[in-house]
Amino acid sequence: MTAAETWTFAPACALPHWPFVAPPDLATGDRIRYPVVIAGGGLAGLTLACDLARRGVRAVLLDDDDTVGVKGASSRGICYAQKSLEIFERLGVYERIRDKGITWSVGRTYSGDDELYTFNLKDDSDSEQPPFINLQQFYLEWYLVDRIDELAGTDLRWKSRVTAVRDEEEGVVVEVETPAGNYALECDWFIDATGANSRIRDALGLELNASRSTDRWCITDVRFKVPFPVERWMWIDAHFNEGRAALQHLMADDVWRLDYQMDEQADPETISRPEVVGARLRAQLGPGVEFEFVWIGPYQYRDHLLERFRVGRMLFIGDSAHVVSPFGARGGNNGIQDAANLGWKLALVLEGNAGEALLDSYNDERHAAARENLVVAKRTTRFLAPRSAAEHRIRRAIAALARRHEFARSLTNTGRMAQANAYPPSAWAEAGARSVQNVAFDGTTLMACLGEGTRFLGIAVGADAAMLAALEPIGSAWPIDFRGIDAASPLAAHLGAAPGTFVLVRPDAYVAATLVDATPARIESTLRAALAMP
Amino acid sequence: MKTQANIPDPDAFHAAWVEAHEGLSDAESADLDARLVLLLANQVGDQAALLECIAAARASV
Repeated sequence: MTAAETWTFAPACALPHWPFVAPPDLATGDRIRYPVVIAGGGLAGLTLACDLARRGVRAVLLDDDDTVGVKGASSRGICYAQKSLEIFERLGVYERIRDKGITWSVGRTYSGDDELYTFNLKDDSDSEQPPFINLQQFYLEWYLVDRIDELAGTDLRWKSRVTAVRDEEEGVVVEVETPAGNYALECDWFIDATGANSRIRDALGLELNASRSTDRWCITDVRFKVPFPVERWMWIDAHFNEGRAALQHLMADDVWRLDYQMDEQADPETISRPEVVGARLRAQLGPGVEFEFVWIGPYQYRDHLLERFRVGRMLFIGDSAHVVSPFGARGGNNGIQDAANLGWKLALVLEGNAGEALLDSYNDERHAAARENLVVAKRTTRFLAPRSAAEHRIRRAIAALARRHEFARSLTNTGRMAQANAYPPSAWAEAGARSVQNVAFDGTTLMACLGEGTRFLGIAVGADAAMLAALEPIGSAWPIDFRGIDAASPLAAHLGAAPGTFVLVRPDAYVAATLVDATPARIESTLRAALAMP
Repeated sequence: MKTQANIPDPDAFHAAWVEAHEGLSDAESADLDARLVLLLANQVGDQAALLECIAAARASV
């Protein structure tokens, strides 16, 4: 290392700022009532606002800032999973994300220079969307804001901080602080999407079940041009990081996310000094590679799981409800998927087309998903940060055998990438609900079929005209469209549905039921259950 | 000797194995693993496979 090396930081990405506009509530002095109020314009809140806008529900979104992204951080989330991308396709922002982002599907795990384990997520995909796209979180939020503005109907209120929330008999009362004064508004349903440190959640005194890791990492976002493969690379013991773990992953604008595991006892200030980080980076990249820092962020991950995601007329989505360690991209993606689970349910309840109990299914389904994500993410962190000599020994054994034997590779766990969680059996879906990919079929796609309004899709495999005619009255009485598909259709293959099978697909592209030899009466009763209608 | 993946849920197996060591001294952990080898060997019940496994474990040193 030469003493002459200097370290430069890239200028901050120019983000848009939106103006504070004094809302009508300030002028009237009376409390105005709205169907839905969302606090927090991050990934989860903006996805929900966009989803509701697409469904014609007029929501108010309150954000304490006037821009996107996390204060003081270049980008938190970077990996967007297929289910999230399919949701964005339905919302009309996917193409922008694809054009700006980095599409990938291969991940490799190394021990030293030896490759231990490889996955290619494309192997399990029938979707129009790729398994993953990497993109700085603020771009995604920016595109969502633009799309919400384009769809109209949503009231985005910047520089508006929620100071108190009360679930009263007539509705939820929300106190808001703005540069032009304070006001209160009222709503049928209040959504807290203000993130991991939600003061709204804390003020309600809800049980959080939080824990914090001793494992310490340092994110180093760096811009450089080296033709590394566009893959997720992770070392369990990198020689350029004193034998500790490291991650390398590309996002937009030639910015690489390099994440280094640090000594647990290390001082966060010291390890994030540019000269310390620069030396580490030089060890990884070798001499002669020019780079500039974008962001250095030391952290210890934490997790929490809110006891209930619905409390009366208040619902909690995204990091406010659940936080897991970052390996596997189960944070942001699950905030997005919370929003997609809740959007159609809120819309149908507000329209009177579903029973209010359907909102309990938001809690049941997404809480189960969060529990599963917590278990999966904890296993990864346990593999990445062995806690005892015995755990180190087990990992050395796995790594040694994985070099020679296929079976041991599956025990190498540097992150199990986010998938659309299956939901457990419930009153709304007797056999549970599982996600359907955005399959192209008969000149359309599943997302195109689910794009307008809020309607279920009843897929009748090999149905004749008489069967479809018999279903027509159900389509007039309930929010459902029917479609006959051929048994040879790619969608039938993806669903694993034989001729004569009826598949009930929810507006969030989850299968609520698969019925063999279904009658119109049975289809109607299954749909009523899925809508929580008596 | 099977070398293709044959453990139904590798992550859950790994978690259970690691948790079994919690709170033990290093010597106790080593003893636990030795007992585990014996129990698993009896599940295998195939002499040729067992000898091959011993050789494969030794070869990775």
